[in-house]
Order: sequence, then C-alpha cells, then structure tokens
Amino acid sequence: MAKTSNEQLVICLDNEGYAAALERRKIYVVLPDDEADKRGLLRVIDESGEDYLYPKSSFSPVTLPDALKKAVLAT
Amino acid sequence: MQFEIVGGILDIETIATGSGIREIARLRKAYGRGRWRKRKGVCRVRLADGQIQLAEIHWYEAAGIGRREYKIKHLL
Repeated sequence: MAKTSNEQLVICLDNEGYAAALERRKIYVVLPDDEADKRGLLRVIDESGEDYLYPKSSFSPVTLPDALKKAVLAT
Repeated sequence: MQFEIVGGILDIETIATGSGIREIARLRKAYGRGRWRKRKGVCRVRLADGQIQLAEIHWYEAAGIGRREYKIKHLL
C-alpha cells in the first residue's frame, strides 16, 4: 500500500471489546475520513490490516520526527 | 463496542474463514479456538452522539463462542 503524508499515527489507549483487533500502547495508522471525523470517529488500520471506524477517545495522536514516521509507515 | 446495533443485520456474508483471517491467532488467544469466520452485513447503528445511521459492519463469529468485535467498516 502506498503511504502518503496524509496518514497520521495514533497510539491505542483503550482496546476494550476489541482484544483481537487492537492492542493497547501500540501505534496505528489513521486514514483521512472527514465524515468520520465529524462523528467523533477515526478510520484506523487495525490488526486485520483493514481500516475500520473507531472512537477517537480510544486513541491519542502521536507526533514523530519525519524520519521515524517514515520508518514506521514503511513497516 | 462503542456503538449499538439497532434492529437486525441484513445482507450477511462470510468474507474470510480460519487461516484466511489475518488476525486469527489474536482471535484464538482472546476468545478461544473455534471455527472462526469473519462476516459482514448492513444494519442501523446508534453512534456515541446518539444519531442512528446505516452502516456496513464486520465481525468475527464461531460456533459455540458467538459473535465478537462488531466493527464499522463504512457509514452508508
């Protein structure tokens, strides 16, 4: 999958009810989704490798240096 | 699950089974061994803001264990 600068990184704070799909304290990629954003949701690529809508409250944004972000997105 | 399914789920399909489910090891660890299937369907959901919206949802399901981890794929 091509990575773009639009992708953001978040850390999972709460995986209650999603033990298989999410792991606490792990960094996930967020895809842009304006409609979801308005509804308090984030489009997150979870452990399935697919993107799903999760509550924003379950995540916190992570800001990494560019080189590190690039490395994380490349994995 | 931070949304509520309102009414029934329509157009249910199986989209992956067993080892075809990428996160099968995590499923087994969290909920036990079983004939896991990943399924999808369409239903109305009540979001945290109280609004009801049509959505495509996905979930995992195994006989004897039940359905786990409803996730919203798209708001329709």
